[in-house]
Amino acid sequence: MNPMIRKELRQRMRERRGWLLPSLYLVVLGAVVTFAYFVTTADRGRSNIQGSTVGVALFLTLAYSQLALLLLLVPIFSAGSITIEKEQRTLAGLLTSLLTSAQIWWGKFVSSLLFVLLLLVTSLPVLSMAFAFGGIGPWEIFSATVTTVLILGCMSAIGLYCSSAFQRSVHATAVSYATVIAITVVTTIVFFVRISIYESAHHLTTTRGWYDIPLNIRAPMYVNPFFFLTASFAPPKQLYPAWITCAGVFIALGALAVALTLRNLRRRGDL
Amino acid sequence: MIDVEQIRKSFNGTRALDGFTLHVGAGELFGLVGPNGAGKTTLMKTLSTLLPIDSGTAQIGGLSVTAQAREVKRLIGYLPDQPGVYQDMSVREFLEFFADAFQLTGPRNRAAVERALERSGLAERSRDAVEQLSFGMKQRLVLAKTLLHDPKVLLLDEPATGLDPIARIELRAQLKELQAEGITILISSHILSDLEDICTQIALIGEGRNARDTEGHSVIQLRAPQARVRIYEIELLGDSVPAVNILKSVAGARLLESGVGRLLVEITGADEQVVALLRALVLGGADVLRFEHRALDLEARYRLAFQGRRP
Repeated sequence: MNPMIRKELRQRMRERRGWLLPSLYLVVLGAVVTFAYFVTTADRGRSNIQGSTVGVALFLTLAYSQLALLLLLVPIFSAGSITIEKEQRTLAGLLTSLLTSAQIWWGKFVSSLLFVLLLLVTSLPVLSMAFAFGGIGPWEIFSATVTTVLILGCMSAIGLYCSSAFQRSVHATAVSYATVIAITVVTTIVFFVRISIYESAHHLTTTRGWYDIPLNIRAPMYVNPFFFLTASFAPPKQLYPAWITCAGVFIALGALAVALTLRNLRRRGDL
Repeated sequence: MIDVEQIRKSFNGTRALDGFTLHVGAGELFGLVGPNGAGKTTLMKTLSTLLPIDSGTAQIGGLSVTAQAREVKRLIGYLPDQPGVYQDMSVREFLEFFADAFQLTGPRNRAAVERALERSGLAERSRDAVEQLSFGMKQRLVLAKTLLHDPKVLLLDEPATGLDPIARIELRAQLKELQAEGITILISSHILSDLEDICTQIALIGEGRNARDTEGHSVIQLRAPQARVRIYEIELLGDSVPAVNILKSVAGARLLESGVGRLLVEITGADEQVVALLRALVLGGADVLRFEHRALDLEARYRLAFQGRRP
């Protein structure tokens, strides 16, 4: 086993946040799902309500709120990962050992991603509530989980890049959060502004299909994690092109972040 | 064992190393001294494979520190100027992690950790968290970690900084033991008395280049006779200005320091040259009270070499 992974996991699980964050995470997620349940059932009054409707509503609420929460947590685990070695002056010790830059990166990546995955796994009981109501099949849960993991993997890699590029954890974390905001909020705003300009320019009033929108207007949404998650709810035969494109974009972004992180680690000039 | 030839390294246009050359033989305990910003830490980082060089060559055990970095890492143990520790690990976990990082497996791993615990004197505290150790203990732990993989060369960048006198004495004793075991040690330090006590030779570095003392040496031999350049301290009765003027006319004599009734003079050449200087002073009317050969200690040589060069 890569010694870095063992060290990182050991250190992470000893931190107070090792148990505090999963607890808080479950409390927040439980509250969100409870709120969604009451909102879904309250509108229908005393009339009969389909269990599957509640199930779908709970599942969607859970999937999106879980992604939002994890996107907020990923920078905490990844962006400080390498800067902490710089701050406590242990990076030189790692780089002069026989550990390669790739091993150091992999140890950091696996440990930060595993912790986020731990949160994902701890939410399974909450998810099973939605499953119990019906309307949701194994495919939806599987594709949503795979998509969430892909997004989190990419964001962890970006967080690690920030960690390798900055000297202080606070700076790396701030830039990681700025990236999260850029790909979620900014891309959404850009998309809606451009689509409204496009529709008013072409006097379009009717709702049109996604692929009727020009690619240059659609493009920012392919880096948007929530759009990526939405695309994952499509049936297996309709994953192409939206989901596949998003997956390609996120994998490419992640790979670029990995390459830049390894380059920074190999430069070693800013120990 | 360590061969550095005309090495150059710049950071954003600022030359940290500017043609520095150094040769350290196997088994030597070699000191490196110079003012702050002289390039000592840059040299140490370069030799420890952490920094690439712009030009020149740097080899350890015949291996290039740039082209054969991984092989060099097996040979060296590097102790940075401000070594860090994982505070939340126990002493044993800390050593075990680095033993793993140096790819020591099975019984070799366990033996290395036990030896490091014994060597650092921390065997009794192996279960304690590193953060509970004193600064001196942490320094011993880091040195023990540096020795885990039995390096042939130790690169120590100001290892005594912040240590109390007892810890410094222990460190000096440990370094002497390591040298006796055949390990080549390059140590940089501002504590000249420590270096004078343990080093065989000391290289002077200033502004990234080989600096020279008043006798023209860029490497001071502490355990061997010096060349035919000597320092004499002259005590005079009354004003020293006439004596300074006489000095200027004597070949091979150079004034290093002058004060009221006191001169420090460097004489290059044979004994006759010394006699000629004394004769010139007496015949010139200087009232010489004392004329004494002075074997300069490292501190005095350092002061003379780097006077007026502090950044």
